[in-house]
Amino acid sequence: MNDASEEAVVQRGGGDNDDRRTYELEETGFLEVPKRWRKFYRVRQGPDDELAPNEVVCPVCKVVIRSYREYRPGDRVYCMPCMSRLVVVERDDGTLEADVVY
Amino acid sequence: MTEPTTWAQEPHLLNEGEFLREVHSFNFWFEAVSGYLEERPFGYAPDLTDGPMDPVQRDRLITTLCNYCVGEAAALEASSGLIRLAPNHHSRVFLATQVVDEARHLEVFLRRIEELGINDPETEVRIRANAGLEEFRRRLLDLVDRGDWDAADFAQNVLLESMEDTVFRFHADTADPITKEILNGVVADERRHLGFGENDLGRRLSNDPDGQRRLSAVRSEMDPLVLGAFEGVYRDLGIRREDHPKLGRHYLDAVERLGLTR
Repeated sequence: MNDASEEAVVQRGGGDNDDRRTYELEETGFLEVPKRWRKFYRVRQGPDDELAPNEVVCPVCKVVIRSYREYRPGDRVYCMPCMSRLVVVERDDGTLEADVVY
Repeated sequence: MTEPTTWAQEPHLLNEGEFLREVHSFNFWFEAVSGYLEERPFGYAPDLTDGPMDPVQRDRLITTLCNYCVGEAAALEASSGLIRLAPNHHSRVFLATQVVDEARHLEVFLRRIEELGINDPETEVRIRANAGLEEFRRRLLDLVDRGDWDAADFAQNVLLESMEDTVFRFHADTADPITKEILNGVVADERRHLGFGENDLGRRLSNDPDGQRRLSAVRSEMDPLVLGAFEGVYRDLGIRREDHPKLGRHYLDAVERLGLTR
């Protein structure tokens, strides 16, 4: 996906007045949730499909979960396709992933 | 044209109660399945047609689909029984949607078998059913009959659904166009089912080491039945033996997250 491209960065600052980059989300053809939520999810196209800073993979169902703003450790995200509640964590190598919160 | 994204549209802003109410609702299910099933009366677009298929390949596909039917019939019977055992109304409403999903899966696989030249698909399923999968079905229904919500939820929505999800996805990548489209629709449903199972059990087991030990025992009893049954499917799909363990990884990851490692 090219959400990380400069064109995708529309402004700085999220909803809670921090300095995060924000992204314009386009529809990705993902149909497994009601219309209003569809642009927040997409199917990952294999291991070479790089994630943007506003994307993490759901460890339960492997769908990519997207946000209007870049993720930071501690962010709560929801995977609607599999109904999982997740938290963004930073791994030792600096990458961001999501852990399930039961 | 997509409307501009705003912070307020984020699903991640919902509080946990709102999120669960949304995703467990009938309306969520209805709008979701409408997205990928509309105008696909038997799981695929009616203008799709079968190309030439080698007779051996066709026969293997029929056997594979027959075993998918065994799994789907087990899930249909079990999920309908689980409605009575569910711990709350959210779960009952969700399970009602799962019952419909499982019935649809069974129907589309039976139709596909018929399209491949079998006049009596129900009888064919009985003839070609894998013995291990049949035994799994009996034990799953026994857990439901005994009223054991946690064990039945695990066996159906974690063990069976994870394995089906992995195999169906793999199969869809190599299948003929009609079977591929049917499988993609089923996989979309499976995401909800396996997510429901893992999240429900995760909440219930997080502070219950006794429950984790008990389900670990259930797991070691039932694992070999499903894993053995899918070995046969892998053979029919032409998957190399060295790739088989990779296909179990999704399930094993879920088991580890739930603390059910032996």
